[in-house]
Amino acid sequence: MGEFQVHRVRFFAYVPAGIRCLAHSPRSARLALARTDGALEVYNFAANYFQEKGIPGHETRTTEALCWAAGDRLFGAGLGGDISEYDLEKLRVKYSLDGFGGPIWSMAADPSGTQLAVGCEDGSVKLFQVLPDKIQFERSLDRQKGRIMSLSWHPSGTHIAVGSIDLLRVFDVKSGHAIQRILVDRRPQGLYSRECVVWSVAFLSDGTIVSSDSVGKVQFWDSEKGTLLETHPVSSSAVLCLAVSEEEDSIVVGTSEGAVYQFQLLPVKWGSAESKWVRTKPFQHHTHDVRAVAHSATALISGGLDAQLVIRPLMERVHGKGYDAALRKFTFPHRRLVSCARKARLLLFQFPQHLELWRLGATNSAGKDGDILPVSRAPEHLLQLKSKGPEHICCSCISLCGSWIAYSTASRLHLHRVHLENGSVSVKRVSKVPKLLCSAHQLLCSADSTSLFVASDQGAVHVLKLLEPGGCGHLQTLRPNSGSAQAVYLLAASADGDWLAAAGGDWEINVYSLRHFKPHCTVPAYNCAVTALAIHPVTNNLVITHSDQQVFEFSIPDREYTTWSRKVQQHGLHKGWLERDTPITHITFNPKQPAHILLHDTHMFCILDKSLPLPDDATPLMNQTALKQLSEKARRGYAHAFKICKKYQPLLFVDLLEEGSLVVVERPLMDIKTQLPPPVQQKKFGT
Amino acid sequence: MAMTRGRLAMLEKEAAAPEPPAGAAAASEEEEDEAPEEVTFERARAAAETDRRLAGETARRDRELLKEKRRRREELFKEQKKRKLLPENVLEELTSRPQINNNNLSDTTKQGENRNKNEERNRRQDNKGKKRVVRLKGRYMAVRLKDQDLTSQHQKMAKDFIQSHLYGPGTNRTTANQFFSFANKKSPVKKAAVQFVNKSWGKEKKQKATHFKKRWMSMKMVSSV
Repeated sequence: MGEFQVHRVRFFAYVPAGIRCLAHSPRSARLALARTDGALEVYNFAANYFQEKGIPGHETRTTEALCWAAGDRLFGAGLGGDISEYDLEKLRVKYSLDGFGGPIWSMAADPSGTQLAVGCEDGSVKLFQVLPDKIQFERSLDRQKGRIMSLSWHPSGTHIAVGSIDLLRVFDVKSGHAIQRILVDRRPQGLYSRECVVWSVAFLSDGTIVSSDSVGKVQFWDSEKGTLLETHPVSSSAVLCLAVSEEEDSIVVGTSEGAVYQFQLLPVKWGSAESKWVRTKPFQHHTHDVRAVAHSATALISGGLDAQLVIRPLMERVHGKGYDAALRKFTFPHRRLVSCARKARLLLFQFPQHLELWRLGATNSAGKDGDILPVSRAPEHLLQLKSKGPEHICCSCISLCGSWIAYSTASRLHLHRVHLENGSVSVKRVSKVPKLLCSAHQLLCSADSTSLFVASDQGAVHVLKLLEPGGCGHLQTLRPNSGSAQAVYLLAASADGDWLAAAGGDWEINVYSLRHFKPHCTVPAYNCAVTALAIHPVTNNLVITHSDQQVFEFSIPDREYTTWSRKVQQHGLHKGWLERDTPITHITFNPKQPAHILLHDTHMFCILDKSLPLPDDATPLMNQTALKQLSEKARRGYAHAFKICKKYQPLLFVDLLEEGSLVVVERPLMDIKTQLPPPVQQKKFGT
Repeated sequence: MAMTRGRLAMLEKEAAAPEPPAGAAAASEEEEDEAPEEVTFERARAAAETDRRLAGETARRDRELLKEKRRRREELFKEQKKRKLLPENVLEELTSRPQINNNNLSDTTKQGENRNKNEERNRRQDNKGKKRVVRLKGRYMAVRLKDQDLTSQHQKMAKDFIQSHLYGPGTNRTTANQFFSFANKKSPVKKAAVQFVNKSWGKEKKQKATHFKKRWMSMKMVSSV
């Protein structure tokens, strides 16, 4: 492995935003997730739960409801009163339509996917028709007093159940009138009791309405007679969300205490026809309020204000492999938020509304394996760049020499020239940046800091020239041979400045020659999302990792996979490697050791030594600690190519600086948790 | 009145009291024949009158004191009200400024002083850049809609609604520190709370200390070189 001096960085004060809405699309096995800061993410369940798309947030956008309609179109509505359609190819908001009802609290698509019902602050339910390129207001149902907090369509599309404050109503869609009015009990608390907010409703096909309210009960009502069928007091704090499975035999609810409960429709006696709803499984995976739940065919999905997405497969629905039934927790994004200027020893941290530039500290002493060295010069916070405007920063990068910083929001690209002399920092904005018609999804500086690569829509990559005193000019636009509608989200440039690799949303990787500005070749298609790309500085081999944890090495000059890569595919990767939860987000190389590849994901970093043999499933994958005990000769017998270190977790970024030092950016979970909003108190005996 | 009557009786008694000892030496029989009441009546009446006068005077004094107090209080309230009303005055003058104050030209000097003060305040407020045009009449306030964004107001109200229902009174919220320190408290090896040391304690002092240290070091370097 070699001796490294590790710069253990824990001053990246990153706090992810809480999850507010979830929308599961069973057809395409995708999950759309909206956060409290207005950001949107799309997870692809088929590609090993990889976060394949992300739309950056906006200061004024607060999404209260998300839904999929008309196939793969995603609509969102929020407290600003607008209904927006998201363009998942260009990764931005396509258009917004004002609902004219005040803040919108809930939205649902009808079972056929052609109509959208929207519940507004003024008490009206408005119906919109989904047309091929826009939505159009159709009509409004009868207005009632009190804001409409939640709504649900009957599976036949003829009735809508609406939950408001202290009330439930059932509307007939054709006539627009309310045909049933049900009063929901408040908390029995004496003279003055707080009003009961019905946070979510669901309408089942047999006419049962399921409601969850702020008192903490889940109730089942008969919509025809308006009577209460069953009531289940689930918690002492509010039950905030509810989701029903497609077969309508299982309901998942989320509470303010962070607990998620499952209700199942079970027969009263073995073999009898009559069945009752029974609360079966409690899960406590969150510490804060669970504000959104979804029910897929095999799993319960919950997202909370602690910014964690938890996917809990249900044992009775999962067949086959053991790893499919494992619990998944996602806290950190599947994108890189840290850039490193290796030569200048600088780190650039990307926050939603500003960037921070830090210089790494230094130490004078040396030590042996496992020692903690004293810091002689502390890390210095050099610069904080605030982005103007309400939009959040989408991507950022710093050049290797540390003199150029570029970042982009949804509409503009910003470029800054940084001067570092003897401890003083000055930054100057480059004013005439070419106005690109499309937004930038990924930015990368070339190795010699003369060009900036901007990943854009429709598979295009713009090459901008960085001029010395502080200017910028558009050089070329590279487009793939096969027309693609998806945006490029990953870039990799070679060290000699000849090659550029770009991966797009359709999982196609194109390699361009920068000498002639033409497409050079395309990597053979693999049906899984690409999570990281890098080009080796010496051999110009492109190393690709996919979301199902496969690793490929493609030789660019020869236009084919390398022999080592074929060997890996034939041998197969170790089971322990394939069963990792989180994708690899960054790949880098050691110039002194051409056979080494350094990769990392959230819980480990690994040095792949191509000269050593590959492990098979019988040998343990994490054998580094065991190898340390053995002598040099014995080590050679047992060593294999994957040298994994799990000492530093959770990792946001790992990179190799010169002179044998490694920089490791960690973000301890407890540091995030202490910055979250206040949780509900849990009384425990004896405290 | 009862008191004066009682006092009268007492005075009578006192008046009557010294009489018998004085006349006792001479001839008590003579005094019994005399009608000493006349003399005593006169004196008693005089005494009663003075007494009544005194009482009336004290009552008057009390009443006057009360009146004074009340008057002072009224003035204080008026003063406060005037102070509060002053900005409105200012704004009224602001809005009525284009109409040239021909009426005000004939004001007394006191109002003129007031106006000067108002104008000073005008200028100060203008410098602050308040762009709201407010007319106060009765109990309502008329404001330009352009200055107040309706959607953001609705949004704010909606957010307040959510905030009050999730974090307001009645919800059982606690701090992150307390919540996460439960595990430390209950574990077999007791540990400190998660945020045992608050990093923001004494922040300014620490900053001053680092600045001083830097300056000291540089001074030392300069002096040593």
